[in-house]
Amino acid sequence: MAAVSGTESVLTVREATKRFDQTLALDRADLELRPRERLGLLGPNGAGKTTLVRAIAGRVRLDAGRIRLLGAELDLRSPQSRRVRGRIGVVPQEIALYPLLTARENLRSFGELQGLRGHALREHSDWALDWTGLADRADEPIKRFSGGMKRRLNIACSVLHRPEVVLLDEPTVGVDPQSRERIWEMLEKLRQEGAAQLVTTHQLDEAQQICDRIVIIDHGRVIASGSFRQLIADTVGGQRQIALELDGDVPAALREVFTIEGKRLIHGLHDVGRELPALLERVAAGGGTIRDVHLSSPTLQAVFIHLTGRELRE
Amino acid sequence: MIRTILRSHWLHTRRDTVVLGLTFVLPIIFFTIFAIIFGSMGGGGDGIDPLRVIVVDADSTGVSARFAAALEEQDALRVYRAPRPTDEQPEPPPYDREGALAAVRRGHVSAAVILPEGFGDDFGNFTAQGEEVEVIYDAANPLAQHVVSGLLQAAAFRAAPDVLMEQGMGYLDQFGGGLTSEQQAAIDQILPFLRGERDWEELAAESDTPGASDASGGGAVFEGLVRIRSTDARAAGEIEEERRSAIVSYYAAGIGVLFVLFSMAGAGGSLLEEEESGTLERVLVTNTSMTTLLLGKWIFFGLMALLQLVLMFLWGALVFGLDLFTSNHLAGFLVMSVVTAAAASGFGIVLAALCRSRAQLSGISTVVILVMGALGGSMVPGFVMPDFMDTAALFTFNGWALDGYLKVFWYDDPNATVLQSVGALLPQLAVLAGLAAIFFFGARLLARRWETV
Repeated sequence: MAAVSGTESVLTVREATKRFDQTLALDRADLELRPRERLGLLGPNGAGKTTLVRAIAGRVRLDAGRIRLLGAELDLRSPQSRRVRGRIGVVPQEIALYPLLTARENLRSFGELQGLRGHALREHSDWALDWTGLADRADEPIKRFSGGMKRRLNIACSVLHRPEVVLLDEPTVGVDPQSRERIWEMLEKLRQEGAAQLVTTHQLDEAQQICDRIVIIDHGRVIASGSFRQLIADTVGGQRQIALELDGDVPAALREVFTIEGKRLIHGLHDVGRELPALLERVAAGGGTIRDVHLSSPTLQAVFIHLTGRELRE
Repeated sequence: MIRTILRSHWLHTRRDTVVLGLTFVLPIIFFTIFAIIFGSMGGGGDGIDPLRVIVVDADSTGVSARFAAALEEQDALRVYRAPRPTDEQPEPPPYDREGALAAVRRGHVSAAVILPEGFGDDFGNFTAQGEEVEVIYDAANPLAQHVVSGLLQAAAFRAAPDVLMEQGMGYLDQFGGGLTSEQQAAIDQILPFLRGERDWEELAAESDTPGASDASGGGAVFEGLVRIRSTDARAAGEIEEERRSAIVSYYAAGIGVLFVLFSMAGAGGSLLEEEESGTLERVLVTNTSMTTLLLGKWIFFGLMALLQLVLMFLWGALVFGLDLFTSNHLAGFLVMSVVTAAAASGFGIVLAALCRSRAQLSGISTVVILVMGALGGSMVPGFVMPDFMDTAALFTFNGWALDGYLKVFWYDDPNATVLQSVGALLPQLAVLAGLAAIFFFGARLLARRWETV
């Protein structure tokens, strides 16, 4: 996990509020993205993630609150804001490419819209093709590409101008594990080159692994933020869980000590090294025969469910 | 199983307003339009629009005057004797042959009837090789020639039955050995009625002569009573070629404009596709403004439409002999095509901006374009349409575009300069350019929904 820099934030959102008719999409949301940081923005469907990302990208005008991006206050009408917007990259969730154009032609089109011309455009396109591993397919219409290839190109088209801040909306949705690995490698390289990243995702295991910090948003409000460890500590606690699978029925003596799930005994452990041997001895003494042992750590999934509940958001 | 399939299809169809419209509403609209158009063909009768015809009375005799009056009484004709009064000329003189010819050429009337000097002298004379009535017609409207010719024969009898009777009896007297005094007396008795000096009902009261009240009716004997000479308004020695060129130009314009509209509606749909795919969002996230984006699309689609029209007319010229390569035609064609393409491009964009999905665009554009095509003359020539539909064509894109192209290729003045030819197109150019601007700004306004919210 990359270290978080202590320098000034590249993106600060304060008290962001936005209402669409009767729906309060953002409710005084706060967020901060530091240089070279990868920040995960999580939340159930309709929580306000996309509205927040679109507001940062200048596509949604806030009713209240402010956004400071790369040292400038975002005001959609000011020329300075337009210049600043040129320094960010927005990767949409959809494969927003021209399907009949080749990879190189797509890069060229979006590169020009981002202000690249001539030699710089060619140079950046070549970099993007190498970066995505699509150099050998550069001149093929992308409709022939696999889902993973299209998604890599989709990202490349948004970062061709080498932005300092990249907003990624579900960058790995619908791709196989290999492509996902490749995409995170690409983004890691980009981050090492200095680009801070704000990533929305529903892949909680992924967010847990690749994000420096995580912000959880629900009903338009930021309900938790911090590193994974901090979130664990603040919510479900750092206790690990052990599940002991027995061969036969659970003896009555063990029912008072463990939580029973079928033939499984469940118990929490604060210190695995010290508490586990004693626990195993106790099972044996109680007449239980252990067939298998499962030890699990708290997950972001647990944190997420703890914070947002199990209710469906539809 | 089949029941399940039927139910799911029915539910789907019932909720798809586009499919419902295309399946049940569009055919009814089309049926109505074509029933109105073709129900009115042939002229005459209540609610049916008459042919516009100029009558020039160069004979100026009592017979020719009665003939012209008989033509005016025909329900199927609307007769004009002089141009409309203007401020400069509050009482314009009657049309002469040249004026009538020019009016037919410009498409102001469907045909002109010229009653020549000496027309009255030989009227009803079956043996004389007298002056022929001239029917000047426009090859672009082949129906008018035949309708007017037929009505001339009917008018001939209605105009002067007494003259016909006198002429006929003259022949009988000359070649048949004369009439008895009783026969002569009967004829003398009937002549005032034929001249219209007395009422036919009086005759019925005075005499029980059978069939007397039918005397004003026509008969086979009078078919071909008036000798007619038909003249194509463009008869400059190349009638057939010009006729063909006119028809080709009509269809090139009609089909060309119709398909340009379809293409533009399809092209405009790229906006909706880009919205669905997220490309629009991606483009707007860069510093590209909506105005710039729409302008780019409008210019590109306009160039595509222009190319489509150029190809259509080039094909017409190379394969079907359309007279494209004269300076007047070429200049007129180019300016017409530029404004038509600009307006069609705007039409495609505004329609896309109006619709919420590609399916909606497809349904709406099909209905709008086909209805505009039918009303505007892309499918059926304007001269076949009743007057109110001709007026309705003024509210369609196709109507103005076709009007302009026909002015270029058909109702042109061969003696005009290039500037004059283009100048004659000013109303069409102004309307289409105006439409292009209205469509573009309309699209810009509607596209606000894609902008920052």
